[in-house]
Amino acid sequence: MNNPQYRQRAIQLREELSDDYFLLWIWDEALGAAGKAGQFYDVRALASLKDSQNAGKIPKLFKPISIYDNQGGRIGFMIKKVGEGTAALSELRAGDLLELIGPAGNGFPIFQGKRILLVSGGIGYPPMWYLQKELINHNQIYWMHGGARQGDVFPCDEIWTEDGSIGRHGRVCGGMRENIQKYDIDLIYSCGPMPMLASAAQISQELGIEHYVSLESYMACGIGVCHGCAVPIGTKDDWDYLRVCKEGPVFNAEEVRWELL
Amino acid sequence: MGTAIKDNSKIRPNANELLHSKLGVLELKTPLTVASGTFDLENLEFFDPACLGAFVCKTITRLPKKGNPPPRLYETEAGLLNSIGLQNPGLDAFIAEKLPVYQEQLRMPLIVSVSGSSIAEFAEMIETLETCAGISGYEINISCPNVENEGIAFGVSSEIVYKLVHRLSALTQRELCIKLSPNVSDIAEIAQAAEAGKASSIALINSIYGMAIDYRTGRSRIKKGIAGYTGIGIKPVALALTHKTAQAVNIPILAMGGIYTWQDALEFIWAGASAIAIGTANFINPLAAPELIMGLGKFLLEQQLSISEIKGKAVI
Ligand SMILES: Cc1cc2nc3c(=O)[nH]c(=O)nc-3n(C[C@H](O)[C@H](O)[C@H](O)COP(=O)(O)OP(=O)(O)OC[C@H]3O[C@@H](n4cnc5c(N)ncnc54)[C@H](O)[C@@H]3O)c2cc1C
Ligand SMILES: Cc1cc2nc3c(=O)[nH]c(=O)nc-3n(C[C@H](O)[C@H](O)[C@H](O)COP(=O)(O)O)c2cc1C
Ligand code: FES
Repeated sequence: MNNPQYRQRAIQLREELSDDYFLLWIWDEALGAAGKAGQFYDVRALASLKDSQNAGKIPKLFKPISIYDNQGGRIGFMIKKVGEGTAALSELRAGDLLELIGPAGNGFPIFQGKRILLVSGGIGYPPMWYLQKELINHNQIYWMHGGARQGDVFPCDEIWTEDGSIGRHGRVCGGMRENIQKYDIDLIYSCGPMPMLASAAQISQELGIEHYVSLESYMACGIGVCHGCAVPIGTKDDWDYLRVCKEGPVFNAEEVRWELL
Repeated sequence: MGTAIKDNSKIRPNANELLHSKLGVLELKTPLTVASGTFDLENLEFFDPACLGAFVCKTITRLPKKGNPPPRLYETEAGLLNSIGLQNPGLDAFIAEKLPVYQEQLRMPLIVSVSGSSIAEFAEMIETLETCAGISGYEINISCPNVENEGIAFGVSSEIVYKLVHRLSALTQRELCIKLSPNVSDIAEIAQAAEAGKASSIALINSIYGMAIDYRTGRSRIKKGIAGYTGIGIKPVALALTHKTAQAVNIPILAMGGIYTWQDALEFIWAGASAIAIGTANFINPLAAPELIMGLGKFLLEQQLSISEIKGKAVI
């Protein structure tokens, strides 16, 4: 299963998390076997396009959602309602149909014997959950997660909130240097909003630590066809627009041309 | 549909026969193709390619093109904004890397979309592609709204269009389809210039100009500001331009612009299209192509009508 596949799957289970966050679980052994940490699916609440003459019923684009968990064919998505597409997903209940295209993207490279720092912000949390499960048996991990407020944070080793409602007060990158030193970190993975990733990348570059970021981008096809999701990747003098949905979403932080984003 | 009363003594044609169409020198098993830049081999994972009459690839240019800075996409209330800027690996890489894969995997005619910055450059590209096997035709993109002073400059002057097409038609026996811009004052005049230059068909429409702004911050949703607008919202525009062009030329029309379903496809065929393409619909519904052909075939069979019988027969 090299290329993403299209499926419709019934939701097995829905779980409520804080505020606008929820979990959707589906069951598909073949897709489960193909999915890796850091990969994602283009997801949509089933919307049929039988009649384009009925404007109210014209479906919108699929939305990229990371694999949050994947075990024995049980695939989980952790979703935050932020706009129209995720709002439609938030209406779904067990038994409702989900449309999926995937698994898409490259996924995180997996290492052994490292002292790893995970840094996530907001909706950057879900891919990290799956990632740490893949890493935990062969590495030491310290996971920092930050969000705007209490409702945006989830279990990890160190919590930050911008409003100080829980955990440490401020932005999650503010604690990176301290933890890198304390835990003698030699590998970083990060996922979250672009400004956060840019700050994290600056820190890892200054300290010379290997760092993989999972980037966000607006997508149309989600399978590498339209070039709509492209980001500048390469060296300062030699870079190209690569597709977040195909060559990404995971890139070496050093190769992302942050100054052009 | 009163024009189409049938002699029942004849054997009833099946859906395959009814769906057959011609685009210039090309015989199409179905009238459905895909719009350049919106479809590639990845999509063929989702359905049986037999529903497609031809395959049109992403536009290629002589030299590699980096494309526009992000964000490049935004979905509007009705349709999509894009600002890709013709990102492509260039002609040499296309021939070395992409074409062999198409030759091996495609089971249908391949139409290569090309764009150039001068008549000489277009001609050079066609001459090079003429040496390659496995190509059934060319779509000459003189209409991309996301590349300043390039394709679009060709697309707006009927004099230049005539010169360009005249030059290219002498270079090839393959299908020569000229893709027009809707962003012109009189599309019929441009289409006539292409016909006079011996184009074998016309494709229309490319994206129209569009824009979106975040009302809270005032920031353009697309980095470059003005983008190309496609999808359901441009359907009435595309339909009108198809009708207008069909009235003005005799060469066949490959119509596109907001076609999502078989009902949309029929509207364009009534308006004068010999073939249709789906673009944005591929993003909205991964099964848009097979569902369109299934619906269209069913309709034609029920009505015992063929594409050629209804083409251009819209009742005004
Ligand atoms: C590879 C990848 C993996 C992703 N994984 C997940 C995931 O596991 N779970 C998840 O919930 N989301 C994930 N996202 C983000 C998700 O795709 C977007 O939130 C979604 O596309 C928004 O669509 P929408 O139609 O709901 O909102 P839109 O209408 O697109 O946006 C609504 C508003 O929210 C803003 N907005 C858009 N995205 C975000 C965001 N991420 N956070 C805050 N505001 C935003 C927009 O600027 C806009 O103002 C991922 C994105 C990528 C690229
Ligand atoms: C993301 C995207 C990329 C496109 N790239 C090209 C291109 O490279 N060359 C071209 O001639 N048209 C390009 N187009 C235009 C389409 O081929 C088509 O003319 C247009 O989208 C209208 O059809 P639609 O409404 O069905 O999408 C592109 C459109 C989109 C949405
Ligand atoms: S979203 Fe189309 S190429 Fe990535």
